[in-house]
Amino acid sequence: MLSLGGFAFASPWLLAGFVIVPALWWLLRVTPPAPTIVRFPAIRLLLGLVPPEETPARTPLWLILLRMLLAALLILALAHPIVNPTAALPGGGPLLLVVDDGWAAATDWPARQRVMTELIDRAEREGRQVVLLPTAPNGAVDPLSLVRPADARGQAQALRPKPWPTDRAVALKRLDSVDLHGGASVYWLSDGLDDKGGAQALGEKLRGIGAVHFLAPPAVQTARLVALGPDTARDLTVTVKRAAQGEAPPVRLRASGEDGRMLAQAEGRFPEDRGSVDVAFKMPTELRNRVARIDIEGETTAGSTLLIDEESRRRPVGIASDRPTGSAQPLLSDTYYVERAVEPFAELRRGAAGELIKRGLSLLVLPDGDAGSGDERNALKKWIDAGGVMVRFAGPLMAEAQKDDLLPVTLRHGGRTIGGAMSWEKPAHLAPFPAESPFAGLEVPSDVTVARQVLAEPSVDLGAKTWMRLSDGTPLVTAEKRGKGWLVLIHTSANTAWSNLPLSGLFVDMLRRLVQLGQGQAGAAEGVLPPWQIMDGFGRLAAPPPTAQPAAGSALAKLPVGPSHPPGFYGTEESHRALNLSGSVTGLAPITDLPAGLSREGYVKAPELDLRPGLLGAALLLALIDLVIGYGLRGLLHVERRVGVAILLGIALASAQAMAADAPNTSGADPADRYTIEATRDLRLAYVRTGDAEADSVSRAGLQGLGTVLARRTAVETGDPMEVDVENDELIFFPLIYWPVTNAQKPLSPQAVERVNRYLATGGTILFDARDEGQATGGANDAADRLSQLLAGVKIPPLVQIPPDHVLTKSFYLMQDFPGRWDGSVLWVEPAEDRVNDGVSTVIYGANDWAAAWAVDGQGFPSYAVVPGGEAQREQAFRFGINLVMYALTGNYKADQVHVPAILERLGQ
Amino acid sequence: MGLSMVPTPPTRHEAEALAGRLPPLLVEAERIAATVIQGVHGRRRIGTGDSFWQFRAYTAGDPVTRIDWRQTGKSGRPYIRENEWEAAQSVWLWHDRSPSMDWHSSRRLPLKSERAALLLLALSALLIRGGERVALLGEGDRPGHGPAVLERLALRLAQPHKRKPGEQDGLPISIELPAHAGLVLISDFLTPLDELRRIVMGFAGRRVRGHLLQVLDPAEETLPYDGRVRFDGLEHEPSTLVSRVESIRGQYLDKLAAQREGLAALARLYGWSFATHRTDHPPHAALLALFGMMSGAPQRGRPQQGWV
Repeated sequence: MLSLGGFAFASPWLLAGFVIVPALWWLLRVTPPAPTIVRFPAIRLLLGLVPPEETPARTPLWLILLRMLLAALLILALAHPIVNPTAALPGGGPLLLVVDDGWAAATDWPARQRVMTELIDRAEREGRQVVLLPTAPNGAVDPLSLVRPADARGQAQALRPKPWPTDRAVALKRLDSVDLHGGASVYWLSDGLDDKGGAQALGEKLRGIGAVHFLAPPAVQTARLVALGPDTARDLTVTVKRAAQGEAPPVRLRASGEDGRMLAQAEGRFPEDRGSVDVAFKMPTELRNRVARIDIEGETTAGSTLLIDEESRRRPVGIASDRPTGSAQPLLSDTYYVERAVEPFAELRRGAAGELIKRGLSLLVLPDGDAGSGDERNALKKWIDAGGVMVRFAGPLMAEAQKDDLLPVTLRHGGRTIGGAMSWEKPAHLAPFPAESPFAGLEVPSDVTVARQVLAEPSVDLGAKTWMRLSDGTPLVTAEKRGKGWLVLIHTSANTAWSNLPLSGLFVDMLRRLVQLGQGQAGAAEGVLPPWQIMDGFGRLAAPPPTAQPAAGSALAKLPVGPSHPPGFYGTEESHRALNLSGSVTGLAPITDLPAGLSREGYVKAPELDLRPGLLGAALLLALIDLVIGYGLRGLLHVERRVGVAILLGIALASAQAMAADAPNTSGADPADRYTIEATRDLRLAYVRTGDAEADSVSRAGLQGLGTVLARRTAVETGDPMEVDVENDELIFFPLIYWPVTNAQKPLSPQAVERVNRYLATGGTILFDARDEGQATGGANDAADRLSQLLAGVKIPPLVQIPPDHVLTKSFYLMQDFPGRWDGSVLWVEPAEDRVNDGVSTVIYGANDWAAAWAVDGQGFPSYAVVPGGEAQREQAFRFGINLVMYALTGNYKADQVHVPAILERLGQ
Repeated sequence: MGLSMVPTPPTRHEAEALAGRLPPLLVEAERIAATVIQGVHGRRRIGTGDSFWQFRAYTAGDPVTRIDWRQTGKSGRPYIRENEWEAAQSVWLWHDRSPSMDWHSSRRLPLKSERAALLLLALSALLIRGGERVALLGEGDRPGHGPAVLERLALRLAQPHKRKPGEQDGLPISIELPAHAGLVLISDFLTPLDELRRIVMGFAGRRVRGHLLQVLDPAEETLPYDGRVRFDGLEHEPSTLVSRVESIRGQYLDKLAAQREGLAALARLYGWSFATHRTDHPPHAALLALFGMMSGAPQRGRPQQGWV
């Protein structure tokens, strides 16, 4: 291999082929191009002609250059040039690959894996064996072994970063299990993070084996770690740690819920001289409680993900609902208003007070009533001491209760009624909040009144315990700090019986303040928690691996993360605790003091690029071009320029067509499209194909004749009538459809019924023609019966005999009879009061065989005699047709009363 | 069933195939002739014929039989009735059927032989309408008239050419023609002039009035080739390799002009007419001119050229 910096030839001796290029030049120069052969009758005139100047025909210079370029490309390609050739492995013996596959390696794992594969490829080329040593523990310490490169490749490809830290001391021990005394090429693919001196020891050991290549990412690209920050009480705060120092781009964090939806973003900037930064998420409580994990944007490691469990969330609000609620009706219920007030910003839990406090709660609301039995009271007291906040509401039960030690103040028996029927007083208003009250700053609405309350016995500390007063000074909310928690009493009821306070916005704000007051207390230790969802090395949650073991709930926070306890959620879906990597990794430090003699490298390296296929392809392309040029010069391409352009265009179009093959075909070749275009190009009258060829031809001829008369007498110009197949064709394009009833028709399919219904609903009109002169016999062949069978399912409105003032009688001609080929049958229409479709009857039914009366033959002569006869009857038939088309097209405007006088006047003549 | 087994005589096949080819050519020829005949009418000369031409006062020496007695009786002076000259002329037609005529430079142009045959047939149609007798030169037919002759001519033209003894490629056969007969020769006339001169001399000696029409392909007139070209002949001429056609184009055009000049001079010498025609031009003009030359007064000493 001949190497020239980042460029090398695998077979450089083939470059000697360039010697022939000058020879090629000479050869091509002296060889004239093959002549064009032309048969020519006037050759006698050509014979003996001597050209004035004797310049021998030469191959054009550009063609010579093209061919030489082709030859040069071929020679170059055969020499097999390679850009960025990878050098051979240094040293001898097997290849020892030490791979840091701890959590920090996940930042650029594909690069590491590529380097591994490349190294193994090179070992394979040189026939050397491979030892692969991952430094992160994986549960079992199995001895290392020399393996063939192909097997090592499989191992390397199966290797994944672990969600726990590396343990290089263990790796050091494993190294003893393989015999490498003959020396080896050592590559250490490190993650750049020191683990309390383990890196130095490993470095020493490796240096003893052979030349060590130490690969590490740049300091600014080493993995970062997210830990739960201090002071999570107010805002959710996390600490981001890094190994390097100095200036760095801001770190962006993302908080997401259990469903993966992003809830908040925060940004922090590392101070230049520090390795950690605290970032706070500003978000409403209701969002905060839904945060399940926090990630560093753009990083996917187990360390860049922080799992949030209930421990670090705000506790929900519990409402003791196991007691009588006062009423079965919700608006009178004791808890209804509290629930409605708390719901928007806190998670609500209902249940017995004793049960509620076993799980985490920030606030326990006890509506009116007893605090429970002795055991319950004790549990509640303990809970409050440990940091719980209990809010009690007064009520009739409390007012009558004897003695209650779960109250911040001593209550006077019986309570107080202000402004009752027996009192002159008015219901009391609220006083402004004292400055030291947690409610301070809330606005006091003037319309809140309290009609009844329980009264505190006066005592020395009553003033200090009072958070809220009525305008006359009596305490309305009192509170007492017990242990770490609070016991709060609202001296009026939680429903509207005693006060309209629960109806006010102030009530919501007060409860919000109270919820913020409570930090609550975690539930009791849940015992042994099985792994529920475990993080992999890339920070993705998945089902737990078999090596993960259950952990004691109490000890979970202090558990070292490792193969048996990978980070993730432990517990059940309903109640789980998070184990984070940040608990086990205290600080991050870069690997600095490695022993001398290790060559440091980075991971990023341009990949080897083989130029041979490209060069060969180019040479082939040039050869093809040369072939075409050669043919062209010899005149064998009898392609005129126009034809050539057409061919090129054709090729371009064909490729464009191929590209656009998926696009919908708009050329109209589709029969449905053709039908649509045909149906909409002109205004067309349509008739239904009955399957009876004679009836169909009569229909066609009839509509043809009607169209001619229409064009002659009115402004309506119709195209040729169209035949529609109700089963297949869309009807919606036609204003009027003529539907003769024959014996041959079969009942409509559901699709056709649906289509006809849609047509009728969207303004279409169908003229059904029974063609039997109205001679209903009642037998099986009765047209009306057939029609009802035929149209089973079609929504035909009830029909009435046409009234004398119907629009059909005056839409163009004034007429009262509607004869066709026959005369005498009654015309049935939809009653006019149905004002859908502009009052136009969707269905018109008759039996006079109008199409036969309208039908004309090729010369325009009527095809059928009308019965009883006379051209007057045919004229009336045509007039009916015109009226009908006008009716279908113009709707009911002729029904307008405006025209009545003029019509009456004409009738009078 | 038995009928279908009977083999049809092969000659009938040939005849049918010939007849099948015939109508397009005939129709085309008739069409062209029809457009041309509108501009041509009668002889406008006194002669033997059936149509009345004029009355003329009797002069001494006129045969008594030619006195029109009715006219004489009306006017009292003897009148001679003169009829239009309608003497039917015999015209022999020939077109070059050598391989060199079966050529066109582009597929969009007709073969030279096709064009020559078309012109020949159309001219025949015109002549037959004019009452002349026409025959193909060298086919041994007697000059005939009437529509049937045209079909016979067309049939003859559609048959493959058989070379007669003594016939040279590209030259008409030299046979005895009646004196004062008309002769139309259509060819590319690319043969050496000396041979043609010999033949023309032979005809001219019998006072045959001849007309030469040179039909050339545009490529033969312009030599539109470039670069290195090997030219192959169509009549077994030796091929020639020209390294740069553009360099000899001028010489070729000179040589072609000389050939034409020689043809014109030859025609002039014997009082014949000479015209040229290119296959990319419409045939009507050539036909009109040819017909005009034949029916008009012989224009001695002025070969017609330039109306191609």
